[in-house]
Amino acid sequence: MTAREALALFFVFFLPLHCFTHSSFSFSSLSLSPNQMGIKGLTKLLADNAPKSMKENKFESYFGRKIAIDASMSIYQFLIVVGRSGTEMLTNEAGEVTSHLQGMFSRTIRLLEAGIKPLYVFDGQPPELKKQELAKRYSRRAEATEGLTVAIEADNKEDIEKFSKRTVKVTKQHNDDCKKLLRLMGVPVVEAPSEAEAQCAALCKAGKVYAVASEDMDSLTFGAPKFLRHLMDPSSKKIPVMEFEIEKILEGLNMTMEQFIDLCILSGCDYCESIRGIGGLTALKLIRQHGSIENILENLNKERYQIPDDWPYQEARRLFKEPTVVTEEEELNIKWSAPDEEGLITFLVNENGFNSDRVTKAIEKIKAAKNKSSQGRLESFFKPAANPSVPIKRKGSKCLLRSFKPSIEHAMFSLQFSYRSRPMVLGKLTLPKYNPGSNLSVPLSGETPVNNTKETNKKAKGSGGRKKK
Amino acid sequence: MLELRLVQGSLLKKVLESIRELVNDANFDCSSTGFSLQAMDSSHVALVALLLRSEGFEHYRCDRNMSMGINLNNMSKMLRCAGNDDIVTIKADDGSDTVTFMFESPTQDKISDFEMKLMDIDSEHLGIPEAEYHAIVRMPSAEFARICKDLSSIGDTVVISVTKEGVKFSTKGDIGTANIVCRQNTSVDKPEEATVVEMNEPVSLTFALRYMNSFTKATPLSNTVTISLSNELPVVVEYKIAEMGYVRFYLAPKIEEDEEETKPQA
Repeated sequence: MTAREALALFFVFFLPLHCFTHSSFSFSSLSLSPNQMGIKGLTKLLADNAPKSMKENKFESYFGRKIAIDASMSIYQFLIVVGRSGTEMLTNEAGEVTSHLQGMFSRTIRLLEAGIKPLYVFDGQPPELKKQELAKRYSRRAEATEGLTVAIEADNKEDIEKFSKRTVKVTKQHNDDCKKLLRLMGVPVVEAPSEAEAQCAALCKAGKVYAVASEDMDSLTFGAPKFLRHLMDPSSKKIPVMEFEIEKILEGLNMTMEQFIDLCILSGCDYCESIRGIGGLTALKLIRQHGSIENILENLNKERYQIPDDWPYQEARRLFKEPTVVTEEEELNIKWSAPDEEGLITFLVNENGFNSDRVTKAIEKIKAAKNKSSQGRLESFFKPAANPSVPIKRKGSKCLLRSFKPSIEHAMFSLQFSYRSRPMVLGKLTLPKYNPGSNLSVPLSGETPVNNTKETNKKAKGSGGRKKK
Repeated sequence: MLELRLVQGSLLKKVLESIRELVNDANFDCSSTGFSLQAMDSSHVALVALLLRSEGFEHYRCDRNMSMGINLNNMSKMLRCAGNDDIVTIKADDGSDTVTFMFESPTQDKISDFEMKLMDIDSEHLGIPEAEYHAIVRMPSAEFARICKDLSSIGDTVVISVTKEGVKFSTKGDIGTANIVCRQNTSVDKPEEATVVEMNEPVSLTFALRYMNSFTKATPLSNTVTISLSNELPVVVEYKIAEMGYVRFYLAPKIEEDEEETKPQA
């Protein structure tokens, strides 16, 4: 398939409905990435032990929010899924891959159209400690390349698909292309001195953005106050955005940030090996029991658990706590501006073989979206308040475990209720069905003390919410 | 234990139809004061606040403050099964995961029970402070609905400006512009046909018409609508429910060029 054909097919088959949203692509193949990167098993650990820290939100609800996105992770995803079939990928006339551009372009437009203000953060120099992990990834890729050769020889379609995805690597060229594209689109780009997740977290801590979006749970270890997953998933999958709050995580796990970092290191991070036989759950128990890795090491049964000879956990901890990031306002230069129309057409249509009509339409969308982002959010006027009501629906046993307080409240209410409800059973039998609207309802409603009713009347009037002159 | 008996059952239908377009799922809160709801649309731009005071019900029993998570479309489906003259009773037992709607025909010869499943909804409750508004406009609700509908065929946003002369609704679109001015007019036969403009300070605010149009779904609830505006606040569009309470819609304004700082998140 030539580049033109590929593009044409791509547009004809995949884009007619949502123009530039990749409605038909599946990210299912990506489930491997979160398992391979970041903190092992952290999502499940949090779901089980700090369920209040996770919340599902609709994509639309991030309207008007500034969000820092880990660019490398997104580009990797695009290279894997956008316009791929077997070893064929979306390319321009020169045969260079353009999947990342297509993905970045359409997905960013989807964010802009939703009124979200994205900010992309690119990786810089990886820290020394990560080199080991990177070497592992390199060798996995090498294995996959071999596997791919074998699969092609054997013409095994399934294996070709599998291995070719595993050989994907985000190169400097891919990064540079995307940076250029984003700048032309008027979307700010931040180049992290080191790890992108760390830079994202720093931006979020400084209040420059509302949240960090990535699939890499590292962001939490770096202390991002709010962390989003699935923000970049295609709309077709209808996966709600999962929002994590670090404050609630620490509250739920009953830990300090230092202990949480230790927990992540023990669970297995990118910077150093973990102790054989200790997974997330054991790590959680150990931290709760001993408080820090140092104390755990003192008390750990060395017969049972082998601590790696070279285990730079202190260095890993330092990288999480004090990563190299940029904080200077001038260096960051975060501004959302109007798209460079001519620049986009030259870059996408002339240099990379994109369909000119589609690009023109997409530019119109960017401009229209710019207008939309001026819509205010209610939260900037009204502050969250506690709702005094208790859900009538008693939650299942799982929820009772979530926190101790509500379960006590429930018990209290149910006690009160059973005490009060007895006389009402009679009323319930006689009142509604047989004597509706008759005298019987009067004594029943009069059961509330009279002065109490008056008081509520006053309250109802008082709570009118706003004054008229 | 919750038992609310509303003689004018059709009212509940109308209430639901008025908010169903804006919000899919919401928690109904019940207290000794009344039956209320506060919910935001998914993009957190608009908010609806409903209050039906306890005195408006023929029988009102609510032992403790509680909330019921309800899918509004499903509730609407059930309420549509009630006749227009039916008496509606809402019942829920403590700790149960269902709510029952009972419909009684006026002649008492037909009684229907509809039981609906409740759901767990994590909703954020916003504190809405009392505020003095710069301008308050009261006008016939049908007139307001007509204006919103007409303007949305021209543009996406409406600029509402209040001056001493009256209230002006304007829009701009690809095909041209539109301006509608409603002057103060109190010399009408029926008070509900009056247009009353109270103004302390001139205001001018821009809003998305899409939301305004969905607010006007509440038009059947009341002959008049009250629009309260302040330069720094969301607009309030209020439909009074006779002798019972109100449905209020809050809408965040559009902000002119946006170099606003991201507010630190608590």
